[in-house]
Amino acid sequence: MEADSQQRECRTLLPHSDSTPPSPHAFDHIMSRWRRSVDGLTALRRNQWDCERAQEALSHVMSCFHQLAALLGSSADGAFLRNELEGIRALAYRICSGLSCRLLCLLSDSEPPTTGADDQQLSERLWVLFLSAAENLLSDLWKASDLIGRFPLTQPKDRHALVSTGCIDGPVGMAARVVLVQVPWVTLEEAPSPDLTSHITDLQTMLNEMQLKVPVAFWSVEATQPAWAEAHEDLDQPEESLEELMEVEVVSENKTMSACCRLHCVRSGIKEGPRKIQKALRRNI
Amino acid sequence: MTIRNTLLDHGQRFRPRMACLKKAEKVLLEMQDPKTGVKSQIQRLVITTIPHALTGEDIIAWLAERFHVDAQEARHLGSTLVALGYIYPLQHHKRLIVKADASLYRFQTPYFWPTQQWPVEDTDYAIYLAKRNIRKKGMLELHEQEQYSHLHKWMNHKWDFIVMQAKEQYRAAKERKKPDRVVFDCQERAYWVVHRPPPGTVSAMDYGLNRRVDPGADEVTTPDFFERIMIFTQQSIMRPRVKSSVSIGALVKHCAIYHGHDPFLSKCLPSNPWLTDDVTSWNLNMPNVETPTKMRVERWTFSFGELLSDPRGRDDFRLFLRKEFSGENLAFWEACEDLKWGAAATMREKAEQIYKTFLARGAPRWINIDGKTMEITVNGLKHPHRYVLDAAQTHIYMLMKKDSYGRYLKSPVFKETLRKAACPEEHKFTDAQLEHNARNRRPSLSPIILRQQEQEQRARTAASAPVDITQVMSRLSRRSKDAEPRPAAQGVRGT
Repeated sequence: MEADSQQRECRTLLPHSDSTPPSPHAFDHIMSRWRRSVDGLTALRRNQWDCERAQEALSHVMSCFHQLAALLGSSADGAFLRNELEGIRALAYRICSGLSCRLLCLLSDSEPPTTGADDQQLSERLWVLFLSAAENLLSDLWKASDLIGRFPLTQPKDRHALVSTGCIDGPVGMAARVVLVQVPWVTLEEAPSPDLTSHITDLQTMLNEMQLKVPVAFWSVEATQPAWAEAHEDLDQPEESLEELMEVEVVSENKTMSACCRLHCVRSGIKEGPRKIQKALRRNI
Repeated sequence: MTIRNTLLDHGQRFRPRMACLKKAEKVLLEMQDPKTGVKSQIQRLVITTIPHALTGEDIIAWLAERFHVDAQEARHLGSTLVALGYIYPLQHHKRLIVKADASLYRFQTPYFWPTQQWPVEDTDYAIYLAKRNIRKKGMLELHEQEQYSHLHKWMNHKWDFIVMQAKEQYRAAKERKKPDRVVFDCQERAYWVVHRPPPGTVSAMDYGLNRRVDPGADEVTTPDFFERIMIFTQQSIMRPRVKSSVSIGALVKHCAIYHGHDPFLSKCLPSNPWLTDDVTSWNLNMPNVETPTKMRVERWTFSFGELLSDPRGRDDFRLFLRKEFSGENLAFWEACEDLKWGAAATMREKAEQIYKTFLARGAPRWINIDGKTMEITVNGLKHPHRYVLDAAQTHIYMLMKKDSYGRYLKSPVFKETLRKAACPEEHKFTDAQLEHNARNRRPSLSPIILRQQEQEQRARTAASAPVDITQVMSRLSRRSKDAEPRPAAQGVRGT
């Protein structure tokens, strides 16, 4: 249907529309060129849409990685945490490699007439955002690899070296979050994910290559939202501030104003295992 | 992808080696050992309880026992660990010290430890500020607001990423259990208090300028490297040598003389401002203070260089020389210093002015230097440069040192200054007063204002000093002429 109406429009625009109809050969040539441009445009838009969704997914995965990496070397560290971390890292690798390929295709397309100025701007913005995200991920990976090297958990006595920071069951909530990630090519392409050190080197080489292949002036990209805008969005129900959460319970009969922390019971270290503490906390909350 | 490469830092990118970090980590790992480390408490909050809290007194007691030091030293060591960011306080999170009471602290997670290799990224700080902005709905502190605006301007190209990441991290943090969430938020907040301190605080992370060479990297042994070692050893061989008894004797003498004046080794009167946050000491020792302290006046007797380098001492010396009518020596010396250290644009005029005032025949403030030096100087002045008056200046310096300095130390001017010198009482602050002082810290006078005051004073002394020796001579002769007729008149009246 659409093609017929387009054909009719095309015919009216042609110079010889009143007189004899043009030869089918020339007409087909013009039509195919037009259809190619329209198809190209839709493909471009779809690519950009994919890349945007992938960028959001990458942010999501990176935030999970950040939360878990902060637990490395602390008392919540363990085999479970490290496996979780590996899984998230593999996911991030797949998203990154797919996104980098697609962005390279987007920006090294050598057909300027098909891409308007706006489209080019959007592609450049996506490029810049991806490179920033990849840099941030790289620094997180460096830190994580350093910490894993410093706190190897190969033997049981290594657990004594873990710093008791107050975090007990860290990675439980993260597993559920990561499942929500939906990126089109992640499920399709099942490439094997590398280990941590090769991941880091791969990411570095990818960043360098990308910057060499496509010259994008990153300072020409501007932010879409003004400063301080995120404070006025209502993300979720209003959260308590850290100061309110840290309010100490005042256990006193004479109602003293200064809420100092009275430390009654456990003066020695934590004796129970982590599971018992989880149970105790659940009872409290 | 950052704009790092556009900084004009001349390739100085590397942070200097912070050897204290590795040592602090070792101490920390010992401290957190469940069996032999610091005793752990439970922190009781309204919503939950969180384990692994430490009290200040436990930390200090453990450190004192482990390193066999007294409580005060242990407290300083603990405060260093807090200032570096390995332990953070749970109450009063902005003051990075250890208090010897039941206030609580906790170990920082290794992810947030300070590292040598990777400097703290501004991108991470921007994400943190955006998160805080979301949480506090725009009610950030003043310095945080300034930093936010600054980062928004300079990181505008990645601002979308920063906001997106901040929202994701905010949502991710909410998924966790309440106690873990509180702990993580405290950890992150403590990390940024250490690495982005509010203005006006002393930060342990201050390391000065970046370096050209990576301290962590091994030095490559190229032929250049060995060339440099050879040059260095050759120069060491060629250096003039002194017997060790002589050099050690000089060191011992210097230490013995300056021992009482060193604020590290002996008491700083009235109190060391770095320790007690009370600036009386600095106010009493300002460059242009009326009454100097006794210690300062004592330092002037150590050597002539000490006297001249202290502005107040130089003023005193200038007063003495004016009374002795030999002020031109000091004036010439100061003019030469001005020429040496001054701006290049006015150098030629300054040199000419100095020649006209001090060196030419019949000059108003003619200085007495020997013929050979005068010849060298006059020849050099044909093509004046910064150090053209060096020989003359050295001659005058030695003249003042051998002659005037000795007389100055025995003069009534010096004795008067010594008598009037202030000897402040030592401060004895209680802990409450120390806290009060810490809260009331104020920045000192701006150096621009101080320089203006200095220039005004210099102008005043220049205006009041006798410029022309002929003027002085004429004033003296006029006075003697006035003195004579009076006794004759009195004599006439008498009879």
